[in-house]
Amino acid sequence: MLLEITAIIRRDKVAPTMRALDAIGLGSMTITTVSGRGLQGGNVMTDIDREVPAEYESVSKITRHLTPASFALVHSLTRPVFWIPKRMIQIVIPSAMKEDVIDLIMSVNRTGWMGDGKVFVSPLEESLRIRTGERGLASI
Amino acid sequence: MKMIRAIVRPEKENDVVLALEAKGFPAMTKTNVFGRGKQKGIKVGPIHYDELPKVMLMIVANDADVPVIVEVIRNAAHVGYEGDGKIFVSPVSEAYTIRTGEKTE
Repeated sequence: MLLEITAIIRRDKVAPTMRALDAIGLGSMTITTVSGRGLQGGNVMTDIDREVPAEYESVSKITRHLTPASFALVHSLTRPVFWIPKRMIQIVIPSAMKEDVIDLIMSVNRTGWMGDGKVFVSPLEESLRIRTGERGLASI
Repeated sequence: MKMIRAIVRPEKENDVVLALEAKGFPAMTKTNVFGRGKQKGIKVGPIHYDELPKVMLMIVANDADVPVIVEVIRNAAHVGYEGDGKIFVSPVSEAYTIRTGEKTE
């Protein structure tokens, strides 16, 4: 039984993640350059903007707008970043290794700040090594 | 949970994103991709374009939200000509938020 792990992570965490996965014997992966946005609708850099009035102390508390980022744009508080550069890592693993791999990816990538990313686990029906024609577990 | 992958015209990307945001789905991932469809690209005069630039949007959502999202993307990305793109829905068994370690099934 095969699973596909799709992790969307910070750009600077690709190398540590690769090293950590190498250490448990998973050397192969696919890396894609993607742009992402989360529930905040992008990034609002409140820290760099000293002009924000006190009642806006937490932009994410404001609910009249669709996202904090669109609020910031309308009120010229900061320059919101609507798309944040991210890397997407895709790994195919046997289902027995699921817990190990997810724990590893989460511990390496966790900084505690928004934008750490997501890990998705999805079932995979078939896998085939093009060079030899091996299928299933033998192919990964 | 389901992953929705929508391959849309690059010029329609902003419309789709704003429409999804208005319905309460601000979170997504975007990639620039190249693709071709049934028409095998496009022919403009003597020149044949084999690969056409598209934008792929990936959204993971609860099963109940999938029809809503698909409908929103359809309405926002629709032009009525070949090349409007495709929407694919595939299963996702688990999703984790790395910051909190929270698990959603």
